[in-house]
Amino acid sequence: MLHQIIGQAKKHPSLIPLLVFIGAGGTGAGLYLLRLALFNPDVSWDGKNHPDPWNKLGPDDQYKFYSMNVDHSKLKNEGPDF
Amino acid sequence: MAHPVQLGLQDATSPVMEELITFHDQALMAMFLISFLILYALSSTLTTKLTNTNITDAQEMETIWTILPAVILILIALPSLRILYMTDEINNPSFTIKSIGHQWYWTYEYTDYGGLIFNSYMLPPLFLNPGDLRLLEVDNRVVLPIEAPVRMMITSQDVLHSWTIPTLGLKTDAVPGRLNQTVFTATRPGVYYGQCSEICGANHSFMPIVAELIPLKIFEMGPVFTL
Repeated sequence: MLHQIIGQAKKHPSLIPLLVFIGAGGTGAGLYLLRLALFNPDVSWDGKNHPDPWNKLGPDDQYKFYSMNVDHSKLKNEGPDF
Repeated sequence: MAHPVQLGLQDATSPVMEELITFHDQALMAMFLISFLILYALSSTLTTKLTNTNITDAQEMETIWTILPAVILILIALPSLRILYMTDEINNPSFTIKSIGHQWYWTYEYTDYGGLIFNSYMLPPLFLNPGDLRLLEVDNRVVLPIEAPVRMMITSQDVLHSWTIPTLGLKTDAVPGRLNQTVFTATRPGVYYGQCSEICGANHSFMPIVAELIPLKIFEMGPVFTL
């Protein structure tokens, strides 16, 4: 499959940018999906041993991909511990 | 509220909306440039005397019109994602208000310091005072402070509604059985209007939202605006 792609790219070099952008986009989407599956607190793969992962977040956990203004490592827990 | 025949966005009353307006302007400018380029290319293709019926390929042109749109899209996507994450930030709100959608009115609950709960119905046209806005005025407005982060918890008691105030950049669905949260900080006082933004039955167009934003010092004096 890779041989085929490289062969086509040699014959039509104008296709290389297309392959680069589509490849980068697809890889990025796949990696983000993997990140969501593994690190999103809404996802629980093992219902018996790790139920409710959204209850185990601390106030300094940053579960989002990008945080612009809020520095999550500086936040403190204001509610009671339970 | 929008003035008559308004085409663009309303003026911003919160920092997030200012960002959205700037982004909208940038994306619109990119769109205008691309559309004008296409129009020019089309008109010059239709009016030129230079023709060649033996062209088989054009590798350089294809390379350019692959890379250039990809770059333009990335330049539009990065600010868009930045603003998307910015709108989701919860930066320590000082005040929480609940907004509950019904068919066809809103209930607002101020339960932080004591209990104040009231309904907000649209004023029927017969009950309007001179100078009032038809289909936008309500009997009891949501009174909120400026320059303090306010958290709105929005839900519904029957069907889907959506709590909207365009000038604050807010639109949050009111889902029965679910509590949605939105946070905003208003920068200037005034009366701001919005309308229910999720189809909810016969009077969906007749359950507006009116937010009256007053200075924080006056707001702290307590509910002097009770029914």
